[in-house]
Amino acid sequence: MAARPGDKHSALLALTSSALLLPAYQAARADAPPQFMEMGVRYSKYKEDDTQGKKTFGGSSERYDIDAAQFHLLAPVADNWSVAVDVQWEDMSGASPWFVGESLDGSPKVIMSGASIADTRTEVSVTTRYYYDRGNVGLNYVHSDEDDYKSDAVAVDGAFNSADGMTTYSGAFSYSSDDIEPTQGSVPTNTLKADKDISSAWIGVSRIVSRNAIVRFGLSYTYRDGFLTDPYKFRDQRPDERKEWAISTGYRQFFMGPNGALQADYRYFDDDWGVASHTLNLAWHQNFGFSTQVIPFLRYYSQDKADFFANIADLDQRYFADDYRLSAFGAISGGLRVRHEIGNWAITAVGERYETDESWGVYSGEESPALVDYWRYSFGLDYIFR
Amino acid sequence: MKPLTYLFVALCLCACETVQPWERGTLAKPEMQWQTDPREISFQAQINASKEATSGGMGAAGGGCGCN
Amino acid sequence: MKPWALLCLLGLFALPVVAGVQVGQSAPPISLPLLTTDSAAELTLDSLRGKVVYLDFWASWCGPCRVSFPQLEELRQELGPQGFEVLAVNLDEFEPDALRFLEEVSVSYPVVRDGAGETPATYGILGMPTGYLIDRSGTVRLVHQGYRKSDGAALREDIIELLGEQAQ
Repeated sequence: MAARPGDKHSALLALTSSALLLPAYQAARADAPPQFMEMGVRYSKYKEDDTQGKKTFGGSSERYDIDAAQFHLLAPVADNWSVAVDVQWEDMSGASPWFVGESLDGSPKVIMSGASIADTRTEVSVTTRYYYDRGNVGLNYVHSDEDDYKSDAVAVDGAFNSADGMTTYSGAFSYSSDDIEPTQGSVPTNTLKADKDISSAWIGVSRIVSRNAIVRFGLSYTYRDGFLTDPYKFRDQRPDERKEWAISTGYRQFFMGPNGALQADYRYFDDDWGVASHTLNLAWHQNFGFSTQVIPFLRYYSQDKADFFANIADLDQRYFADDYRLSAFGAISGGLRVRHEIGNWAITAVGERYETDESWGVYSGEESPALVDYWRYSFGLDYIFR
Repeated sequence: MKPLTYLFVALCLCACETVQPWERGTLAKPEMQWQTDPREISFQAQINASKEATSGGMGAAGGGCGCN
Repeated sequence: MKPWALLCLLGLFALPVVAGVQVGQSAPPISLPLLTTDSAAELTLDSLRGKVVYLDFWASWCGPCRVSFPQLEELRQELGPQGFEVLAVNLDEFEPDALRFLEEVSVSYPVVRDGAGETPATYGILGMPTGYLIDRSGTVRLVHQGYRKSDGAALREDIIELLGEQAQ
């Protein structure tokens, strides 16, 4: 999803849906394509809290609002193939931080980009996957289009089971090429046309621990090259390269008594801009009978600021950014997902709340006055053609 | 090097005993997959990558959002 | 690295040496209770000697079984009179799961239950589902791993060929 101005989206992110269709761990059966065709639609609403009056020049302001619709289709093809098509439409509107200035009392305050912006983004992703007796290989292409941003990405991924089926090795490689042509009008931009490339590689291993538990480890590397500065921010000048590393681990355990499963995932991220972060995801998947699941989830996130982040940009430095997304902060989010099956249909509803605060993180730094909080709701309907 | 050693040990301590193919029923449950709801995860990942400085790395090919 | 850690590490990558039943070997005997009746009476593989038998190890959680069951039922309807039989061995940890599956995908061929997992261990199964095509003399002639949509047609050819053979 992209937000404008200020947030840009690369179709490479949508790539997560392709690698996510990767059965990262195949259980006891030989790798097999899905048995039946399935289709689904999802509607989501994302609404950011207004900025705080005392932290904004001109008083509190509305922020971002996004309506998104997703369509999904997955079908087995012949004996050993599957094809998946995902389409996403987003309607975005609202204001975004333009820059941070020093107010009379010395505290930093954010200046928002005046009038409301409206934009629509469309994204199409196609994945084809080949299954053989010990694993599978997938190929994915994603195209994303909006007024000021176009992106094309391809990815290849594969998974391979050990002979005893206890271990699965997986890997993926992706490449994305993005074109930025900032919309002129609401705020002056610091480029008229630019582009960037993103390459990424990931390897992982997943292992059965017991009849009820599995564990995984993963390592990823991403290289960004090109125009990485935010064109809609008044004072923003970033390096034209970024190297990122992330290690992650995950655990799943089923508990027979309560008839539920614990899901835990952790990621540590580090890059050459000085940003480092910890992410912890926890979820409890509670079954009620055979058709209903209630899943409360919690996420803790803490990031360190980029070396060149400062609320009041130091123009003597080569690089500077007052973008809150490069500041040090902690974020806590949580919510509830509910799923209910009726015959071949499934209904899903999700509600999530996300809040940020500089003091919640393990890293300390200047607090940006533009930290964001939001609500998100999603409703989905799926059908499986049995 | 020491943390890596512990990592290796931890890895192989997990299951020095094989779980037979017919004993993997519980592991086949939807809630025991790495991604129970792929579209929900990808949507959350997109939002997070747009609002934070970190993206990818969680069991998917990294990269992610074009946000700076 | 400590020696015990090294051993465990090797355990990670060691392949289990399970001598599974191969083509050409005699099918190990089976005697298991029927799933759909209350009686404790057992069905033996031996009692099916003289017929061509497809021995199918399955479980309710095995996806490809939703495809294999209807196809095996069709084959049994068609070739049953000529001496073809399917013997399905359920390996679910919990019996109710198996019964629920059979309600959705009902078949007329005998389904027996092995909750303890002794028969699959004897046969040396490497994945689910696994099927063994056994000829009229009780010899394993085909080991079928997994199940794809087009497997029914290929199996049909093999079964017809075996039906043509005399029992020894």
